[in-house]
Amino acid sequence: MIKPLSQWSPIALNTLNWVVMFGSVALCALALPLRLPGMELTGIGPNWLLIWVVAWSIKRTALQAVWAGIALGFIQDGLTAPYPTHALGLALVGFLTARLQKQRYLEEDFISVALIVFGMAVIAETIMALQFSLLNSPSAPPLAEIWLHHQQAALSSAILSSLWAPAVYYPLNLWWERLNWLEQQS
Amino acid sequence: MYSLNRWWDRYRLQLSLALLGLATAWFMRHTHSAGLIELYRLITLPFQADQTQQERLINARTWELEQQLAELEIQNQKLQALIDQPIVAQGKGTVVPVIGRSADHWWQQMTLGRGRQDGLKIGAVVTAPGGLVGRITQVSDHTSRVLLISDPTSRIGVTISRSRRMGVLRGQAGDRAIIEFYEKDPDARPGDGIVTSSLSSLFPPGLLIGRVESVDLTKTSNPHAIVKLSAPVSDIEWVTVYLDDQTSKSVVSDSP
Repeated sequence: MIKPLSQWSPIALNTLNWVVMFGSVALCALALPLRLPGMELTGIGPNWLLIWVVAWSIKRTALQAVWAGIALGFIQDGLTAPYPTHALGLALVGFLTARLQKQRYLEEDFISVALIVFGMAVIAETIMALQFSLLNSPSAPPLAEIWLHHQQAALSSAILSSLWAPAVYYPLNLWWERLNWLEQQS
Repeated sequence: MYSLNRWWDRYRLQLSLALLGLATAWFMRHTHSAGLIELYRLITLPFQADQTQQERLINARTWELEQQLAELEIQNQKLQALIDQPIVAQGKGTVVPVIGRSADHWWQQMTLGRGRQDGLKIGAVVTAPGGLVGRITQVSDHTSRVLLISDPTSRIGVTISRSRRMGVLRGQAGDRAIIEFYEKDPDARPGDGIVTSSLSSLFPPGLLIGRVESVDLTKTSNPHAIVKLSAPVSDIEWVTVYLDDQTSKSVVSDSP
């Protein structure tokens, strides 16, 4: 039998926390190339890594959030192409989420998390579009097309990501709250 | 000094783990997440490609054959007129399952379930029922990544198969692409078949790409036509990869 979490040693708890973190990031990254029915809108799926960054950053410092954004951005770069980088957008998303005065303006619930994800998805896509616009290479697409695609990508991504946000946020938040509680007990 | 020591004792673990995490992510970026995408292939193995959407594929294939026939007839005429023109050899292809789509909203990519171990190489040409799909830009041991022709950064020299006029095709995400012509009157009509041109350096000539949907010649500085790509990319579950050196060149750049 597995012992209840409250009897685990702090080191074991910490290890489990890192396993949960890396495991959830891996799951989000693996979900990116997947397109299941109900998970796509005009060929665009939810941005799972962005949802993870928001879930991570909500109760953490700006520095931790930016670090997570950069790391997950690098992973997404690896899965697509490294230039322009996704790390910039996700780092900004983490920073803004961490700095949001949530206790003042927003309640801690699914609706507000979905709202934050909606806004952050638009910001992340905008950063990508800006980077594409600033590339000066002969094969870069023309500005008008980039921003037309940006509208479509930002809207679809924002809608889908915010709808799927609770699926990532709920279990992670539950785990981190539980962990916090256990640490305060001991 | 004492406070520094205390700080170090307190944050040592967190700091080293944070650095480890960042280093892992950087490593994945450099290896193009090969390990991760291999794991993805293993997990999705039971769900890969079934026999659905056959009919659409057959329709597309029929249309492709019709267009190929028209293309060959015209080529034949030209060859007869110009007897020393070299004849294009048809390569041998391998059929490969599609296991994933683009991992973001900007790159139009596809992940295939075969890789280096099966002889796939960077630059290999990928086709599907309906015509050209793209070319391989990344390979790992058992997976490979395809940059689709619908990606906005991919440019292909194309020919209108009826009038033999040339242009440059640029992807527009989704199943549309745009052709920019060099001449003011390119003689293109809706319904015309579009094939890769003999001037294309990345693709062999004569591969079907799509059909002209609308032509806009109102701007004399920028005559262009919208093309509907004939391979139904979002439904494709199997593609054919051409391996021989004659039909592929390893001229590949990752950045746009």
